[in-house]
Order: sequence, then C-alpha cells, then structure tokens
Amino acid sequence: MATTTPTTPTATPAPAHEHGHEAHGRELLHHFESAQQQKETATLGMWIFLVTEIMLFGGIFMAYIVYRWAFPDVWAEAAHHLNTPLGAVNTVVLLVSSLTVALAVNAAEEGNRRRLLTMLGITLLLGATFLVIKGYEYSEKFAHCAGAANPVAWVTGGARLGESECLVPGRNFIFPEAHGAEGAEAGHGTADSYAQPQAGLGSPYQLFYFLYFVATGLHAVHMVIGLTIVSILTFIAWRGVITPTYYTPIEVGGLYWHLIDIIWVFLFPLFYLVH
Amino acid sequence: MATTALPQRGYLHDDTPNLGEWIRSWLFTVDHKRIAILYLLAINFFFLLGGLAATFVRIELITPQGDLMSSDVYNRMFTLHGVIMIFFFLIPAIPAVLGNFLMPLMLGARDLAFPRLNLLSWYLYMFGGVFALSAAVLGGVDTGWTFYTPFSSTYSNSNVILTITGAFIMGFSSIATAVNFIATTHKMRAPGLTWFRLPLFVWAMYATSLVIVLATPVVGIALLLVAIERIWGVGIFDPALGGDPVLFQHLFWFYSHPAVYIMILPAFGVISELISTFSRKRIFGYEFIAFSSMAIAILGFLVWGHHMFVSSQSVYSSLVFSFITMLIAIPSAIKVFNWTATLYKGSISYRTPMLYALGFMGLFVIGGLTGIFLGVVAIDIHVTDTYFVVAHFHYVMVGGTIMAYLGGIHFWWPKMTGRMYNEIWGGISALIIFVGFNMTFFPQFVLGYLGMPRRYHVYPEEFQILHVLSSAGATVLAVGFVIPIIYLMLSLKTGRIAGDNPWEATGLEWRTSSPPPTHNFEAIPVVTTEAYAYPPEAAARDAAEWRPGSPL
Amino acid sequence: MAKTSTSAGHGAHGDGAHSEHAAHAHISRGTYYRVFAALMVLMALTVGAWWIEGIVALPRLLGVAIAMAIAIAKTTLIVLYFMHVKVSERATQLYAAAAFIGFAIMVIITMGDYFARGWPPPPGPLP
Repeated sequence: MATTTPTTPTATPAPAHEHGHEAHGRELLHHFESAQQQKETATLGMWIFLVTEIMLFGGIFMAYIVYRWAFPDVWAEAAHHLNTPLGAVNTVVLLVSSLTVALAVNAAEEGNRRRLLTMLGITLLLGATFLVIKGYEYSEKFAHCAGAANPVAWVTGGARLGESECLVPGRNFIFPEAHGAEGAEAGHGTADSYAQPQAGLGSPYQLFYFLYFVATGLHAVHMVIGLTIVSILTFIAWRGVITPTYYTPIEVGGLYWHLIDIIWVFLFPLFYLVH
Repeated sequence: MATTALPQRGYLHDDTPNLGEWIRSWLFTVDHKRIAILYLLAINFFFLLGGLAATFVRIELITPQGDLMSSDVYNRMFTLHGVIMIFFFLIPAIPAVLGNFLMPLMLGARDLAFPRLNLLSWYLYMFGGVFALSAAVLGGVDTGWTFYTPFSSTYSNSNVILTITGAFIMGFSSIATAVNFIATTHKMRAPGLTWFRLPLFVWAMYATSLVIVLATPVVGIALLLVAIERIWGVGIFDPALGGDPVLFQHLFWFYSHPAVYIMILPAFGVISELISTFSRKRIFGYEFIAFSSMAIAILGFLVWGHHMFVSSQSVYSSLVFSFITMLIAIPSAIKVFNWTATLYKGSISYRTPMLYALGFMGLFVIGGLTGIFLGVVAIDIHVTDTYFVVAHFHYVMVGGTIMAYLGGIHFWWPKMTGRMYNEIWGGISALIIFVGFNMTFFPQFVLGYLGMPRRYHVYPEEFQILHVLSSAGATVLAVGFVIPIIYLMLSLKTGRIAGDNPWEATGLEWRTSSPPPTHNFEAIPVVTTEAYAYPPEAAARDAAEWRPGSPL
Repeated sequence: MAKTSTSAGHGAHGDGAHSEHAAHAHISRGTYYRVFAALMVLMALTVGAWWIEGIVALPRLLGVAIAMAIAIAKTTLIVLYFMHVKVSERATQLYAAAAFIGFAIMVIITMGDYFARGWPPPPGPLP
C-alpha cells in the first residue's frame, strides 16, 4: 500500500517545495516531485491493475459466452434454480455500497472526517451483508446436496428435500428436471468410471453451475479483499492520516471497490436473469 | 529537487554493521537497482537449471534408442526445460533485470513509481519458483509447458497443480513489474523528456508492459480453471463433462502468443540501444522503431490462432489468423531494416555487446522468416509439432532474446557494477555462443523438415547424424554460456574501473556515476535533446581518428 | 516561490498534464446522488425486463441484448462518475478503455472461431 509514511529519511522533500504544506512533507514519498504527481501516479497504477482484474474475469466471461451460445435452453432452465430475489437484493446492496464509497472519497476530499468514517463504516456493513446473503445462497445449494430442504434444516436435521437435487458440480450433481435431456447428452458422458448415478454428469447443466460457482466464488474472494482494504482505510482514516491534501488511499481503494461492483453488475444478469 | 544532501555513493555500497543487517539491506530493499540485482541472481539460477534440463534432453537424443531415460522421464525433462525457461527465464529476463535497473535511470527518475510493489514482484517470482521447483523435485510434470487439456486436467499423473500454481504466481510478478513500468513511464519522466525523446528501450518496455497487463490474467484464469478441474473433477475443458478443450487453447494462446512478444520486444529495445551506441550514429527511423514496437504489441493480440491450426479450430479462422500473422512481419522487418540502415556509414566498433547485437540480427532474421513459413497454414500443418517448429522458436528465443539479454548485460555491466569485464573473453564467448547456437539449432530445421517430431526420445536411425550434430552444438553453446559467468564474476574484483560513460553513449543512465547512487541522480536531469543525439559527424570523425580501445 | 529553477522545471514533469488538471476537477455530491438514482432505475429496468420476458415470449437474443445494454450503461455510469474517469487525466481514461477493448478482442476473435466451426457439435456419440 502506498499509504504508510516514507521510510527513508535520506530524501525528505526539499524545503523549497512548491506547495509548502507541511502535510505534504510526511506523505510525499521521496521519489515523487509533488503530491499531485504522486496521486495521479497512484490512480493510474491502480487503473492498470484493474485492467488485469477485468481481463481475469474476462476469461470466465469468455467461457460463459461460449457455453451459453452452445446451450441456451440449458442456461434458461438452470438459471431458474438460482435465487433471483436474493441476487437482486445483493445487486442493490453493492450499488449502494458503491455510492457510499464515492461519498467517502468526497468526504475525504472535503476534509470531513466524521462523514468519511460513517461512509466507510456503512460500506463495510454493506459488504458484509453481501457476503452473508451470498453465503446463504451457497449453503442453500450445499444443503440440497445433503438432502435438506434449506440450510437451517441442514444444521438442525429438519425438513428433507422432496426431490433429490444437487446443483454443486461434482459426482453427485443431480439436476432435477434434466432427466429428459440427459439421454441426449449421455454420449458425451461415457463416465463409467464414476460410481455415482449419472444424473447430469457430462450434461451442460453442470457447466452452468460450474461457471456460476467459479465466477461468484472469485467475486466473493475479491469482496473479502475489498473488505480488508476498506477496513484498513477506516483504520487510517480514524487515525487521522487522511487529509484534504492527502486522500489518495481512499481514492485508490475506492476504485477497487467500484470494480468489484462492476463485475457483479455483469454477473447478476448473466446468471440470475436468464430466460 | 536538487537537494545537495543526497549522499553520493553507489547503491552497492554497504555500511551495515553485521551480516544479518547486510542481508536485510538486500532482501528488504526498495531500490530498483538492488531489486534488479536480486532478479539477476535468481533469473540466472533458473536459466542454468533450465539449461541443465536441456542438457539431459540433448544427451538422451544422441542415440536413437531411449537409453538414458524412459519416455516418461523424458517427458518430464523437456517439460521442466520448457516451464523453467519460458516462465522463469525468458518472460522476466530482460524486463526484470535490465528493465528494473534501467527504466528509472533512463527516465531520469529516482525510482520506479511503486518501489514496494517492485520488491513484492521479486518475492512473488521466488515464491512461484519454489512451487515450480518443488513440482520438479516431487517427480516433475509431463504435460509440456502448454498444459493442454484434457491431458493436464484429467489424465496426467504428474504434479500439474504445483506447476500451474507456480506459473500463476509468477504471472502476478510480471504484472506487478508491468504496472510499475507503465505508471513510471507516464508519470515520472524527467523535465523535457517527451515521448519522442525516450530511448527506444523504454518504448519497448512500455509495449511489453502493455502486453503483460492485458494478456497475463487470462492465462491465470485458464490455469486456475485447469487446477479446479483437476482437483474436483468438474470443469469446462473436459469433453467428458460437456466442455470444449479447444477453449483452453484459445485462452492459453491468448496469453502465450503475446507472451512471445513479451520475450522478444525487450530484446528489440536492447538491440536498438546497442546498434546506435556502437555505430556512433543517431538511430535510423526512430519513430518507426518506436511505433513498430507498439504495432507488434497490438497486432500480437490478433494472431494467437496460428498455434491452433491443427486443433480443430475453424479453417476460416485459421485463414484469418494466418493473414494477420503475415502482417506482424511488417513491423518486425521495419526494425531490422532500420538497424541495418543505422549501421550504414557508422563507425562500428566490434565490442562484445555489438557482437551480440550483430549476432541477434542474423539469428532473428532466420527465426523471423521461418516464422512466416509457419504462419502459412499449408506449411504449418505439414511441419506441426516437428523439430522445424522447435528450431524456429529457439532461433527467436535463444538467438533473439538470450543474445540480446547477454548483449545488454555486457553493455550495462559497467553501469551496474562500476567495472569493465574482460573484452577479449567477452568477444571469444560471444563467438562461441554464435557458433554453438547455429550448430545446435540449424540441424533441427533439417530434422523437422524431414519429419522428426518433437517430444519423442526414440527416433529412426537415419536422424542420428543430425541429432548428434545438434547435441555437439549444445555442448559448445553450454561452454559459451559458462565463460561469461566466470569472467563477469572475476571482473567484480579485478575489472578495470569503468568510469561514468565508458561507451561514450547518450542516454540519461550514462550521466550519473557508475554504479549509480541510491537515488540515481544528484539533481534530476533536464533533457533538451532527442535520444541518440550523436553529432552527425561523430562516425566520420571516429573513423578518421580510430577510437583507442576498439579491438578491431 | 515556485520560480526556483528546479520546481519550474518539474512543472514539465511527466506529460505536463499536472498543470492542466491542477485543480483536479471535482464531482459534486449532488452528481453522485443523481448517478445513484439512475443506477437504481436501471436496476429496476433490468429486473423488469426479465419479468416481462417471463410472461411474453421475446426473442432470446433480444433479452440478452437488453440485459447487457443495461449492464453496460450501469458500468459506464460507475466508471465515469464514481470512478472519476470523466475528470481523470488522459492516460487513465486510455487504460480504462483498454481493458474493455482487450476483452472485446478476445471475445470477438474466439467467437469468430466458434461461429465458423459450427459450435456446438451435434449431440450424440462422436461419428
């Protein structure tokens, strides 16, 4: 992080520094000429890194496009087993958190420490909410694999699922309504080596859920990283490091948060809104 | 900021009280020059390791029978050679060593934009290296460096996951370097250093960084998916699971074709510096060379399918890929023509770096032209997976990148260490490498065209002569690589003190002391001239005066 | 005081973009709220479109096109305003665009192969 104070005492910025704010003296790293240059460099660097993030998810989107193009009917059917209302709530949660991050940057710019901390706090809460909802969605799928009707029943040993269903890709994968289509795909799945009943192994239904788990899982990993970053930002803001002349960490961390939001903006319609 | 308080001593200078402190001063340094030295040591270690694997491959191939190793061990051996050489040597070699050392110096900056990120990249590199090495120690991997599915994801019984993890981590190391280079080039240029006054090495590194940033994450995710597919038996590349293995090849080559430009573009940058310096002339067609680097970087993203002509890719796609592949020849040729034109009426001194540069031009032309053969669908299908392909990319990678890397190391050695290497031994080893290289790889063109497939360790007896010739050449080549290690090490103790600018070269890096102080410049320089601003009559004057110190 | 020789020289540091953007253009809080409102409207639109498609049979491609158009619109808003690309310097804008261009190249060329190849292969055992 470009947030800590310079460690090398040998090159403290010259006293004849253009702006002359003493605040610059501490945050300006020795190899930059001005705070402006440092901020622009950090922003540009973060953007270049975001390019790599976009291309990272780009690989998954590429695979998604290929298979959706191949199996449009499968996609439509498979997507109906995802919890669209929860997905929509999560989208709204992330969009609101993007707003609060933008407002946090604004507060930092204006030097309003109280509002900055509030906004970062709300962001943390929203991020955590997102992960909780996402976790519930995942546990629903795993609970179905265990035969329980919902995650709570899974833990308490309550209601069982009427029809066997397991949407977690793997040997136990069973897509409930896929029995008709399965025969046509059986030629692909010459999986005699698998002990479990076929029930969708080798069928494209599994591809949908594989991509779903990989894409949202990778996104969730990014959420965790993002939450860590926002926590650190909250801490340094609380310590008073952030000033109207030095708020680059908030700005740069905010960029990362917005990127996570953008990825979800695409994941949501691609997985939850399919007909 | 022209603070006079900066202590003027080389970055290598130590005043650490004890060994522990000394080690800390290196391992926790954020000085780009020290990180470059760390990279130099690590990368050369991996180079020797990859060379060792190649040695075993060449020894095995001396006889038509498989008498040194089984086919399985042979598979693991050439995979080790490929993985180490590509991911841990060729891709980081010039950017991480020479680029790290020179970018801030050439740009007139005190350091790269994000020094700690730079250090992190070295640790990521080492960390990835540990994974790849542990995979090798635990029995190796037999997929070839390309990790094609479904073999890698389902059938291979070797350490695919460890190796993939190593390559994945190493990818983030090059991303960190690239982010640093781009941000530094944009934001930290010295006053007056406009884009068209930049040394061509900087242009080349910038183009390389662009390719790294756009391409590397894609192979990262592709390898991650292979690992998931392998661990959990679920996935999207296995036809048994309804997936398409060719998709893996698309994602893989979307990175790995641009990756060959990650390897060769920095070499172009080095050669541009060498040719101009040792011809004592302004480089011919500066803008063309600069833009051809960018053109290669961009066109390089449009041609990956020429690795997939026999993969069941659509023939129509193949034709388009083939056509665009031809287009790449244009910017590459522009560079070679411009270098040749720079030599014309130059005052050429045949110092070691220049020998490497001239060797590069010859070998790269052969490598590049055979690349055009291979870009033609009909010929490629005929020689796919034969030694013709092997010879082609070794001409580009070894004859191109390694020659440029060695040339660059020699050229900037006085700047890095403050001392000159032994010029006589330098020239001798450059010639040995050139001869050994051609002896090793030229027979492989013939072998491939006669139909010898790659990745086989038993072969028909009529190929033996050519294989023995190739193995003998590899021995010569190995000797050529060992000699520089010896005399460069010796030069650290016994070499003549170089002075700030032993080559009378232009460029900001020569304006500071050798070795440069920790913060590079006493005062940030102000640039008022173009790069390679040799006076027009420099070459003629040198010819008249015959520069002392020139061995010829 | 800015006229010492060094600091004047450093004014030209980098692209010289510093001076142009010196008063780093500022996006007001009101804009953020308006952008957020637009995002919410788009969110409602995309879910609404999905709901309608569940009732009325629309061409499948149209549904995808609508969903993607809305997602791209949302992204554009976030990138331009929340991520300040609208008021950033040229290089940042360039890289923001480069990511999407790079992705587009990958998709267009790869899908070109799949279209021309006749993907997916007909179901059933291989011939």
